[in-house]
Amino acid sequence: MADRIILTIGTKKGVFVADAAKPRRSFVLRGPFGPGVPVYSTLIDTRGTPLLYASSCNPFFGMKVLRSKDMGKSFTETKSAPAFPKDDGRALANIWGLEVGGGKKDLWCGVEPASLFRSHDGGDSWDLVPGISNHEHARKWQPGNGGLCMHTIIRDGSRVHLGISTGGHYLSEDGGETFKASNRGVGAGFAPDPYPEYGQCVHKIARHDDAPGRLYMQNHGGWADWTGPGGPRPDIGVLRSDDYGHSWRSIAKGLPSDFGFPIVVHPHDADTVYVVPLAPATRSCPGGAPAVWRSENGGESWSRLGRGLPKKQSYFTVLRDAMDIDRLKAPALYFGTTTGQLWIGREGGEQWDCLFDSLPPIHNVKVAVV
Amino acid sequence: MGGAPNITIHVPGPLRPYCAGAAQLSISARTVRAALEDLRRSQSAFYRNVCDETGTVRRHLNVFVNSDNVRDLDGVDTTLSQGDVVTILPAVSGG
Repeated sequence: MADRIILTIGTKKGVFVADAAKPRRSFVLRGPFGPGVPVYSTLIDTRGTPLLYASSCNPFFGMKVLRSKDMGKSFTETKSAPAFPKDDGRALANIWGLEVGGGKKDLWCGVEPASLFRSHDGGDSWDLVPGISNHEHARKWQPGNGGLCMHTIIRDGSRVHLGISTGGHYLSEDGGETFKASNRGVGAGFAPDPYPEYGQCVHKIARHDDAPGRLYMQNHGGWADWTGPGGPRPDIGVLRSDDYGHSWRSIAKGLPSDFGFPIVVHPHDADTVYVVPLAPATRSCPGGAPAVWRSENGGESWSRLGRGLPKKQSYFTVLRDAMDIDRLKAPALYFGTTTGQLWIGREGGEQWDCLFDSLPPIHNVKVAVV
Repeated sequence: MGGAPNITIHVPGPLRPYCAGAAQLSISARTVRAALEDLRRSQSAFYRNVCDETGTVRRHLNVFVNSDNVRDLDGVDTTLSQGDVVTILPAVSGG
C-alpha cells in the first residue's frame, strides 16, 4: 500500500532522505549519506521494491553511484560508475541525471562531459550510448558555468528527449539509437545567431503522459536587453512544444523573468506547469522575494505562488533539479535552495512551509509516493 | 639488470575500503607510472579512485615519492628506488 512520501535531497555535502506519512505534516530526515561529497542527481525507482540512487561526485576520487535498498536508511556503492572507454580521451567529470529505463533494471545516466550511459543491471555496470555520446556535435558543445552537462533524460515510448547545457535539445525516435538536434524555436543569447541548430543552454525539460507530444522547457533566458549582433531576443527562456519537441514556442509572457532553472508539470493536469523565475544577472529571487509561478493553461498566463515564502531579503537560487511534485490527489511541490532550505508547497503550491532550513546547499530534490 | 625495486604505497584513509582496509601496499616498480600500472592490475577499485579512465592521476590528488611531490620531479616518470614510499593524498581544499 502506498502510504509514505519519500524525498531524496542531493546537496553539496551528501544525500539526505526525508520521509513522512501521507498527510505530510512532518518529515523525518536521515543522512548525510556519502558525507561531504556533492550529489547532483538522485532517483527514486518505484518499479518494484523501491530503490534510491544518488550520484556521489567526488572531486578527489571520482564519480560513484550510491544505491539504497532500505528506503534510505543506508547507501552502498554500485559495483561501478559510468566511465568512458579508455581510448575515448574523455574523463567523467560529473553525474547530472539518473532515470529509469524500459527494462526492469534498466537505468539511464547523463554525465559531464555531456554523454549518456545505460545500465541493464541496476547500476552495477554501464555502457556508453554512442548515438548521442559520439554524435558529430558532441565535441563542439561548449560548457556553461555549470559544466557541459547532460541533465535531462525523458523517455516516451521509442522517443528519448535529452537536455544538454550547453548543447540544446536532442531527440531520438528509435529508442536511443540515433539522435538529432531538435531546437527549432529554442533561442540562444550568447551567440550572434539567436536560433542556432544546436548549442542552446537548455536548463530543464518536462512532460506529462496525458499530453502526447507536449513538452515544456526552461531555457536560458534573460536576453531581452541584448543589443549586439542578432538583436534582442526576449522571452526565449520558457518554451513549449506540441509536436514531440520538433519545434518550440515561447510561453514566457506574464512571467517576471524568463530566466530560471527547474520546470515541473502537475501530475494530474498536463496544462498546469510550474517555474521559478530568477533575476538573470544574479540567478536569485527577483527583488529578494521568492515565488513559484504557475500556469494552469499550458503557459498562456501565469500566477504567482508566494504565500508563506519570504517577502524580502531572500536571494537564493533554485537549481535545475531542485524542484519536484508528488503524485497525491492534492499534490505538494518541493524545492530546495542554494542556501540549504527545503520548502513544501501544499495544495499545489498555494501554501509554502519550510521543512528544513539549514541543510547544505541543495542541488537536487526528488519525491515519490511509496 | 636487476629486478624492479620494492616500494611501499601509502593508502589514504578514505581509500582503504577499496583495498581491503590496507594502509599500505608493497609492490615492485621502477617508476611511478609502473607503480600505477601495477595498481591498475592488482587493485583495480583503488586504482579507479586515483586515476581517471584516461589513466591520468586525478586532478585534485597529489602523489609524493618520500617527501617530494612528483610534480616537482619527473611526474609519473619519476624513478623509484628500493624502499621508497609513494604517498597519495587529496589536495588541500576548502568549502
